[in-house]
Amino acid sequence: MAGDRIALQSTRPTEFMDLTGRLQRVIEKAGLLNGRVHLQALHTTLGLAMNENEPLLLADLEAMLRRLAPAEATYLHDDFSLRRAVPEDEPANGHAHARNLLLQPSLTLLVEDGELLVGRWQSVFAVELDGPRAREVAIQLEGEFAKGRPDRTRRLIELELERQLHADPEQVGDPMRRLVEAGGKRFRPFLVLLTARLGPAYDPLRAATLAAAVELIHAATLVHDDYVDESPQRRGRPTVAAAEGPARAIAVGDFYFAKATRLIAELGSPDVTSTIAVAMEAICRSQIDDLELRGRYPGDEADYLRVVRGKTAALIAAACVAGAQLSGASAEVVERVRRYGDAVGVAFQMTDDVVDFSDRSGKPMGQDIRERVLSLPLIYASEDEALGGEIQQLLAGPLPDRELRRVVELVGRSGALDRVNREATDLVQAALRELEGVDLDGVKATLAEIAESVVDRSA
Amino acid sequence: MIGTPDLEAIETLWKQGLEEAYTAYRPATTGLDGEDRHRVALAAALIEVALELQRLGRPAAAAPDLLRGDLCLARASRLLADTRDQRLQVSFARAIEERSAAAAAERPLGPARDRLLLAIADGR
Repeated sequence: MAGDRIALQSTRPTEFMDLTGRLQRVIEKAGLLNGRVHLQALHTTLGLAMNENEPLLLADLEAMLRRLAPAEATYLHDDFSLRRAVPEDEPANGHAHARNLLLQPSLTLLVEDGELLVGRWQSVFAVELDGPRAREVAIQLEGEFAKGRPDRTRRLIELELERQLHADPEQVGDPMRRLVEAGGKRFRPFLVLLTARLGPAYDPLRAATLAAAVELIHAATLVHDDYVDESPQRRGRPTVAAAEGPARAIAVGDFYFAKATRLIAELGSPDVTSTIAVAMEAICRSQIDDLELRGRYPGDEADYLRVVRGKTAALIAAACVAGAQLSGASAEVVERVRRYGDAVGVAFQMTDDVVDFSDRSGKPMGQDIRERVLSLPLIYASEDEALGGEIQQLLAGPLPDRELRRVVELVGRSGALDRVNREATDLVQAALRELEGVDLDGVKATLAEIAESVVDRSA
Repeated sequence: MIGTPDLEAIETLWKQGLEEAYTAYRPATTGLDGEDRHRVALAAALIEVALELQRLGRPAAAAPDLLRGDLCLARASRLLADTRDQRLQVSFARAIEERSAAAAAERPLGPARDRLLLAIADGR
């Protein structure tokens, strides 16, 4: 038996939140091979359901709930003069409780061969009836577990990376292997493998090669970045520049830029080659911009978006596009996943910026400010009428610990963190809209899950 | 002769060796069609200048030069992608792999131009 929780944040009064992708990841994380997964909503105005994730149908179902239990009907539950010990923040939500009777408080689903057993059109929903609110769904899994079994997609990525690094000369291969083995989200290769399923020419081995090449490009940029930023550590280990010296770090980065380019060229898809080449150019261009902007820190929103679109979003969007192109997906699908990747990439960086102001980031709070790393919360806070002047004055100085703490405090007081969080959430919603009304052949739920996870993280 | 987009953000390099390198690679591209001749010669020149800027095989370059070198390498990669010629793309990538691996191993590097001329010949 294993247990877990899914945390949700609804954004509307009534909302169908698709849990299918997240459930699959819970199953993979737990290593459940065959058995059952039990779900239970931990709220009286949150229900569970299985149905088709089709926007018009979901609108129909919302309308049905409204018809059967109208908000404007009379509910004794809403007459606070009749109830005892009503909390101050109690909402008038009799209709939501009534609607919940039409749904399930719990579900049991089957798992076969490590996969949630759902039909082609079935999705699992948590149905918000009184949002927006923070919600939780409890999960228990039982059956046959393969402990430590990594999820298959991740395993494919790791195997391909290992294969690619295995034959490289040790002077470049060893440092890169240490960096790759130290971890990382594998966000970009995962997107490649997902979108590579969207066309008729899906080939898992070619997709894995492309995925590994994209991750190697990302890793090569990190090797050079760490030298430029003089960072001593990455993923808890010394950076390549710190461990091997800057000259070796430059050679390692160059080697893997070139190797990744070759691997992609050898796939023989000119469109894929062009997509990645354009993204690499955007990354390198924005790294120069980023370095130049440190002279007029913290910059403005336009500077920020230009740099982030290049440094972060370009390769994420290219990963989505290249995977789809490799499999011969339609032009419409390619364009949709490009816009999805761009929005997710910018939201990813915005959320990273917010996490840097929390004590859960894994590094000293405010360290990025001291290193003059572009930060949207800091930009917004420094434009604040009441607090911006003091922030700008502090940033102009050397920022010893006390002043740095003051900057962090002022950013928190300015409301900039909430504003950036809202904008990141809006971008994720925009990314989710790109997934509507187009045939995404079974990967829609996982793409949606990835987009949502971007703003649902603490580190 | 060189379009502005090809030199965007690296304009100053044109008179600092890029033009000379470009001119030197042009004869090796004879036989390619007009636009591809330009792309391949400029890609080779950008790679040569990038490796020089980054001081490959020597004490490390300063950060701004490393990043300008990266942009040159990326732009060369994009120009080669624009040719849609797989053999040339692979041939140039192998040349950079060889030189960076040799630099990492602190082995002596021969002249970059000779190796890149060979890449053009191998790729055709």
